[in-house]
Amino acid sequence: MSPSERHNVTVHGPADGQPMMFAHGFGCDQAMWRFVWPAFSDEYRVVLFDHVGYGGSDAAAFDRHRHATLDGYAADVLAICDELALDDVVFVGHSVSAMIGVLAAAARPERFARLVLVGPSPRYLDDEGYVGGFSEEDIADLLESLESNYLGWSSTMAPVIMGNPERPELARELTNSFCRTDPEIAAAFARATFLADNRQDLERVRTPALVLQASDDAIAPRPVGEFVHDRLPDSRLVLLSATGHCPNLSAPEETVAAIKTYLAR
Amino acid sequence: MTIPAALLDESAEDLFETAPCGYLTTAVDGRFLRVNRTFEEMAGREREDLLGKRRFQDLLTVGGRIYHETHLAPLLRMQGSVREIAVDLVRPDGSRLPALVNSVLRYDEAGRPAVIRTTVFDATDRRRYEQELLHARRREQEVALELQRSLLAGALTEGEGLELGVAYHPADKGLEVGGDWYDAFWLVPEETIAVVVGDVVGRGLAAAATMGQLRSALRALASTGFEPGALLEALSEFSRRHELGQMATVAYAEIDVRLGLMRYACAGHPPPVVVEPAKPARLASDGRSPPLDAYSFWTDRPDASLQLPPGGMVVFYSDGLIERSDRPLQAGLDELLASVDELRDARPDTVASSLAQAAAGTTGSPDDVCVLALRRRPART
Repeated sequence: MSPSERHNVTVHGPADGQPMMFAHGFGCDQAMWRFVWPAFSDEYRVVLFDHVGYGGSDAAAFDRHRHATLDGYAADVLAICDELALDDVVFVGHSVSAMIGVLAAAARPERFARLVLVGPSPRYLDDEGYVGGFSEEDIADLLESLESNYLGWSSTMAPVIMGNPERPELARELTNSFCRTDPEIAAAFARATFLADNRQDLERVRTPALVLQASDDAIAPRPVGEFVHDRLPDSRLVLLSATGHCPNLSAPEETVAAIKTYLAR
Repeated sequence: MTIPAALLDESAEDLFETAPCGYLTTAVDGRFLRVNRTFEEMAGREREDLLGKRRFQDLLTVGGRIYHETHLAPLLRMQGSVREIAVDLVRPDGSRLPALVNSVLRYDEAGRPAVIRTTVFDATDRRRYEQELLHARRREQEVALELQRSLLAGALTEGEGLELGVAYHPADKGLEVGGDWYDAFWLVPEETIAVVVGDVVGRGLAAAATMGQLRSALRALASTGFEPGALLEALSEFSRRHELGQMATVAYAEIDVRLGLMRYACAGHPPPVVVEPAKPARLASDGRSPPLDAYSFWTDRPDASLQLPPGGMVVFYSDGLIERSDRPLQAGLDELLASVDELRDARPDTVASSLAQAAAGTTGSPDDVCVLALRRRPART
């Protein structure tokens, strides 16, 4: 199975357009970008994908060693870039995928033209002299929430979803489908996300970056966005009036406008 | 019997306020706009303390708030409704109320999301029961794992004439133990060693228990003087008579470590790999017969033999090492031969752990992996 099959890659827009890759964050799948990507597919070659275990990806490709840290997810992104021969990529990452983009761009700067980081956080746990917003108990509590919310992943449903990858409508018909995943994979992704510390990696990024910071973001509060902006060698910080952690869903027009303004510079 | 008139006054107001669930309306960012009396009681807060002052997510645990931001809110935006989301409400006194939440998004005339209507159900008992089920499932996995470990425990046979190494890696995915096993014991001390790798169908406690019985039965039968093929048929008969371990596969070998003679038979089990000095690794593909109790009649199970020169190595393994969904079986065997060739000069324990680790590290290895490597010591000079 190729990386693009494993990750349910969907491509829109002109084949010779500059590649624009959208990466969804922890929780749901590429549908998170449904209100945003159509604004770019006239000009860009839009590439969407699902992280392993989410959406239409091949859950069997989940590897508890590879996917124990964000580096494994960054390697997945680079594998897609390699297969599709994407160069000069505008990488748009939401939430944890902002850091996945940072890691990918730090490792292979020649692939990337710009980074757009929506609600990034290089470390969610508090540390000496750093406020990430969360304690280890909070993350343990999140893992418990994940355990109680198997969202359509009972043992009777899983085979239907897993056994018919060629018929995604089967999975779509079920409720909560955009956020459905194997609880084990969700827990692993939560650990990789919320226990990560990628503060040192920010300085390694040579790619120009836009940091989009929503107001009142409970997951990545403003001081964290400012920290990211401060540590990235070449970045712009734009504060959105949109509230919450998902401006791509709650305020797509404002999000699109901010990205377009930045890319036109 | 007449129903009191006051109770028949089911005004919309009354239906809302005393509904048997918490009922609330919030703005799209979660700010409370309206709550019913039932919700006030559930949350332990008066509406004056909620309306316009707090957001629904502020009443959740921190973990629940992350879940709200990463799952509930995006789902609601994408599909217009969510159902059966489990959260804990935190009351002012710090106590928690496990709850199930359903929400629908209401749109304005222009089709923009305007308000969220949410019902909240007390799920205290249900959550407690779910947790009991989860703990029970985990406990069963632990017990099976303990059983498997205790069955496989015990120092492996060591001797003057041989070096032995084993590795066992549970499946990458899925938490239940499998039914693979290995064994090695002297038939004649320092002279003839019996080596076994087997694989029982199924997973979990039952598979581990069956594995233990087959392993003991084979040990008992090995001391009766059967040839390897006949021994496997006797084991198959045991399996048939006691209705356990049907379709289990076994590779069995007896090796005279002084003379280097190996006699072996495989019941449905993948062929061992043989490494002779200065020759490419090859499969010992003779002595093959069907899995245990595959047919309801006596099966003729042939033996085979080969000569293992000093320094030569033989590797037994379970099918988890070679079977993967994304490639044909032959490709798995070819890859195994190549890997063994690369490891031909390594110690047997390194060979076993490297092979098992490589298989466990690849994607899509859904099965347990069990490897046993044995090297005949080179002649003393």
